[in-house]
Amino acid sequence: MAEILVLHALNGLVWGLITALIALGLSIIFGLLDIVNVAHGDLFMVGAVLAWYLVRYVDNFWLALVLAPLAVALLGIVLERLVLRSIDVARSLVVTFGLSLILQDAVRSTFGPTPQRMLPPFEHTIPVFDFNYSLYRLLAALIALAAIAGLFLYLHHTKFGTWMRAVRQDRDMATAMGIPTDQVFMVTFAVGAGLAALAGVVATPITTIEFRIGLVILPAAFIAVVVGGLGNLPGTAAAAVLLGEAEGIASAFFSPTTARIFSLIFMSAVLLLRPHGLFTRRTG
Amino acid sequence: MKRRARRVLPFAVVVALATAAPFVLSEFATSLLAEILIWSILAMGLDLLFGYTGMLSFGQALYFGVGAYGITLGVTRLGWAFLPSLLLAVIAAGVAAGIAGFFAVRLTWHYFAIITIIFSLVLYFVALSRADLTGGEDGMSFEVPPIVDFGGVELSVYEPLVEYYFVLIVTVISFLLLRLITRSQLGLVFRALRDNTNRASLLGYDTLRYRWVSFVIAGMFGGLSGALLAVKMRYASASYLFWTVSGDAVIWTVVGGAGTLVGPIVGTATLITLRDYLSTWFENHQLFTGLIAIVVVLTAPQGIVGLARRLTTRS
Repeated sequence: MAEILVLHALNGLVWGLITALIALGLSIIFGLLDIVNVAHGDLFMVGAVLAWYLVRYVDNFWLALVLAPLAVALLGIVLERLVLRSIDVARSLVVTFGLSLILQDAVRSTFGPTPQRMLPPFEHTIPVFDFNYSLYRLLAALIALAAIAGLFLYLHHTKFGTWMRAVRQDRDMATAMGIPTDQVFMVTFAVGAGLAALAGVVATPITTIEFRIGLVILPAAFIAVVVGGLGNLPGTAAAAVLLGEAEGIASAFFSPTTARIFSLIFMSAVLLLRPHGLFTRRTG
Repeated sequence: MKRRARRVLPFAVVVALATAAPFVLSEFATSLLAEILIWSILAMGLDLLFGYTGMLSFGQALYFGVGAYGITLGVTRLGWAFLPSLLLAVIAAGVAAGIAGFFAVRLTWHYFAIITIIFSLVLYFVALSRADLTGGEDGMSFEVPPIVDFGGVELSVYEPLVEYYFVLIVTVISFLLLRLITRSQLGLVFRALRDNTNRASLLGYDTLRYRWVSFVIAGMFGGLSGALLAVKMRYASASYLFWTVSGDAVIWTVVGGAGTLVGPIVGTATLITLRDYLSTWFENHQLFTGLIAIVVVLTAPQGIVGLARRLTTRS
């Protein structure tokens, strides 16, 4: 029993970190641009599909790991410039829902409606108790962890990252100080989109991919954003990992659907009782 | 009197056209029209909530699904007749909205939108895990009992004309009821909440209660719509509860013009007709739905009806 629990805990950790990547993107986009991006799951899906194509035709996973997020970040720039500039929350929901339909249909008509699988770049395993655990999954967790660390370093130790935090705090003041807010919005959306795509690439070898996987992962990412506190990035990352763990371990005892129901109810309670998130201390 | 006539005349013309439709249109087109009418009830309910009360719900699929399962289970499990089962569906949706609304109306804007999505997801997953009762993703078919079976008169939805006129009558009644609500004192309070919640609250209105009332009414119309679709399809499935159904309703309402009540009907009719027309040519009609939604929201924030009104008043 203990071995199975460790296995589920490991799986939960991997998924939690992947979800964290998506949730962080969702959160920075919401925090800066006031956009609830319903299409964020589909950016994850596009990243996964691009990775599948690159591995299929170029046969290089590491190339996909770099190229797919870059391509989706570019797509993010185009989308932000074209349709998401200065839009209110209600309309952003409709526009991004429209984008979600477009992305899904575009992928369905090219990639096809059948789910596909992809082999991990290497098939080594390491022994965990009596099991052989896939080494790739551990690497996936490491990549996600590195990307999260990279995002925080970027936000706190680069000029642009500082600008991003400044715009989030006070948009008008930031503009008055000469920060190019338009560029900051663009880069924010690109970074968010790129993170989702990176999550997609990393997740491809451990899951089946099809045009609807974005719809499945989006609620989980939303849960992390809300439970962690809208705009509270460390809280969001922590919530994603915690929820991944909780769902992973719960799935040792219940069906994944039941585990999902519990986490959704938990999230409703957090929204109602602590709308600013579990980890956000309210001052004033 | 003249103003009244101007207001009633378009309504009379549209109802007359809709009444004559089955004699002009093919059987297939009539069936599509019935489907449009059914979905527009969902969109009109959402419009009361979003367009008139300013609460953007992304979770109307919940009440739609409860309505669909309400009538399906009423007929199959309880063995009830048609009308009692329909009533059960609407009441069940109202109760569901009453419970969900008790919590949801305390939140505003994106928090409200998010919690409505979550509630609908909870029920969606519950429906998936109780496949014995709901049929899960595959759904369940059922035999629809006659609408009326009294004194030798039997009206059944298996008769296409009966089905169409039944749907038309229910839609017209729904429209009139909602029109009545939006024009009433209650509707005025709803609009006051939409425009300035703080001021309404300072004037002494119990804002939470009014938001809740709007939420429950919208939920009941969502349930009615879901029940009718289950009848039309002779089928209900967990996919009726998925949040993309809610998303469709939002798109139809916004594209048609929120806060007009006519807009949701126009939006639903436009997008479903287009989807049907396009799907005979392309497989990926969703792409066009998405494109149209984006273009309309960006170019005509008040939707098709808002745009039409602006054009006619300017000239």
